[in-house]
Amino acid sequence: MIPINWVVGLAAIIFAIGAIGVMARRNPLIMFMSAEMMWNSAALAFIAFARQWHSMSGQVMAFLIVGTAAAEVGIGLAIIVTVYHRRHRLDIDEISGMKG
Amino acid sequence: MIPFIILAVIAIAGALGVILGRQPVHSALALVGNILALAVLYLLLSAEFLAVAQVIVYAGAIMVLFLFVVTLLTAGKEEGEPPEELGGQRWWAGIFAVGVGVVLAILAVTHPGSAVNTGIPSNFGTIDGLGHLLWGSDFLYLMAVAIMLLTAAVGVLVLNRPMKKSRVSRPGREEA
Repeated sequence: MIPINWVVGLAAIIFAIGAIGVMARRNPLIMFMSAEMMWNSAALAFIAFARQWHSMSGQVMAFLIVGTAAAEVGIGLAIIVTVYHRRHRLDIDEISGMKG
Repeated sequence: MIPFIILAVIAIAGALGVILGRQPVHSALALVGNILALAVLYLLLSAEFLAVAQVIVYAGAIMVLFLFVVTLLTAGKEEGEPPEELGGQRWWAGIFAVGVGVVLAILAVTHPGSAVNTGIPSNFGTIDGLGHLLWGSDFLYLMAVAIMLLTAAVGVLVLNRPMKKSRVSRPGREEA
């Protein structure tokens, strides 16, 4: 039997590491992977709470997170590839030109 | 407790590998390690179907997509991290994120909260239990995700349609 509160603590740590990656890195691919990690830690917290309360609703939420992450990856990678084809640099600041 | 500690160490090592990797390929491989460790953790939390879904969708589909894009965009190139333009942004990001993470983790560990102590239901975590909810009371969410996935697929098609002649011009930052 795993202590649920430690699992939630692990989710918090992974979430913070992902946040550092999103804020500190400049490569859009790595920022994107860090964002995936943050999604994953949220799903982990949902599953831990589902186990704690013996309620499947948390697992439904984690399932929806997986679906959302799939949609997000598709559209995000398409944007990254499109920007790269026009600028030929992997730098998140290139996307600042997408205003308006 | 011991399996949890081993999995937590693997997951955190994978997470650190993602944000510290010099090449996006290294980050992607570290992310696979992180995802697989979390999948085993889901198994220990009796979420069998989600563990399998995590491996198939994340480690299978999403990471393969990532690796395709990484090899498409960065093959044979050794680009360092561009210099940061906001003063000290990395340090502030690190300090705040570490602070938030430490506070959240300490709160989570010191406040276990109440738990249900009865035995878990027989279909807990199986595709049977999940399906009853998704096609029952939570059907609205399932439809919302379905519409969102369809929208994302259409969006990818729109983003990748062939450019018109006038829009294809030389690469460079000066281009308006």
